[in-house]
Amino acid sequence: MIKDITRGFFKENPVFVVLLGLCPALGVSTKVVNSIGMGAGVIFVLLGSNIMVSMLKNFIPEKVRIPAYIVIIASFVTIVQMVMQAFMPDLYKSLGVFVPLIVVNCIILGRAEAFANKNNLFRSILDALGMGIGFTFALFLISLVREILGAGTITLFPMGSWDGIIVIPILSNAPVRVMALAAGALLVLGYLKALWNVFEARKKEPVS
Amino acid sequence: MKQATIVGGKLALICALAAVSLGVANEITAPVIAELKAKQLKEALQMVVPSGEAGEETFVEDHPAVTAYYPITEGNSTTGYVIKLVGKGYAGDLVLLASFSLEGEILGSVLLDNEETPGLGKEAENPEYMKRFYIGTGGTSPVPAKKSELSQANADAVSGATITFIGIGQALSAGSEYTKKLGGAQ
Repeated sequence: MIKDITRGFFKENPVFVVLLGLCPALGVSTKVVNSIGMGAGVIFVLLGSNIMVSMLKNFIPEKVRIPAYIVIIASFVTIVQMVMQAFMPDLYKSLGVFVPLIVVNCIILGRAEAFANKNNLFRSILDALGMGIGFTFALFLISLVREILGAGTITLFPMGSWDGIIVIPILSNAPVRVMALAAGALLVLGYLKALWNVFEARKKEPVS
Repeated sequence: MKQATIVGGKLALICALAAVSLGVANEITAPVIAELKAKQLKEALQMVVPSGEAGEETFVEDHPAVTAYYPITEGNSTTGYVIKLVGKGYAGDLVLLASFSLEGEILGSVLLDNEETPGLGKEAENPEYMKRFYIGTGGTSPVPAKKSELSQANADAVSGATITFIGIGQALSAGSEYTKKLGGAQ
């Protein structure tokens, strides 16, 4: 059971290990707040779709399972889009086209097909949480490095009179602009994946 | 045949359940979204009208880029127009609100609804973007709608979001021409 939730975070991290969902991971990771918002949206959709697919696995005919999964996933994504537009309009504006694109995020369809339609409800919920948190953590790391280096700021959610922006003194005046661009996203992803691989390899080394 | 009917029926049932849940979500969120849009429009009108007051909205149906306009009045005279425009962006329509003098000069502009890419086309939401490329054009100088009409530094700045730049430029150019036609008459 524990493995169901930790698998998505470490061994099969969607971004750093399986390399899925890279389009939103690279596209929205210019600000930390965007990554948290996108991660929350993906966790909700992943949780909803895994629950529905697991519950309906004996009802959904084998021949039309993919169209059925897409209808379920698209419905949850549309709900996320409506709720974000109504109650978090700034975040919705920042994420732009990447919110509806959650429908085609391979992680969600992948988990419905590879896990939820073969396992019980409880395990499917744990799998969705593990994968969703793993995706959010990866996005958070990428965006943290990109925003600090590329803009010299860390943008979080505004609270009361605080605008939610932490300014890094020297970097904010002379940021490494390439980090905010697409090339920077790929560079950061590459280095973080290399680091991830080193940690994974060390964990596997036998104790002498 | 029977098998196909069962499969089709089950898929239709899933679709119907999805439609009902979306209907419920829409019922809850639609009034909030409409209220937010009205507030956003009011704020945008205040931003693009530098002096004077925006009057009643008049809808335009037979124009490819202009969807509505508001006369700007100071005292009893009309000094310009706020035009609601639609342009073609990278990922769908760009909705703009721009104010023009009677000579067609752009006084202010705000990008409203759009689906442009964060970090690239979405940069056009920044007021500095409008100031850098468009404000002050449209009267004696043409509204830039091609990269070749920009200085090297400005052309480099729109790289990666050229379609957004062209879409906004074409819409603002159409708004400028429309304002010139309207002139001082409402």
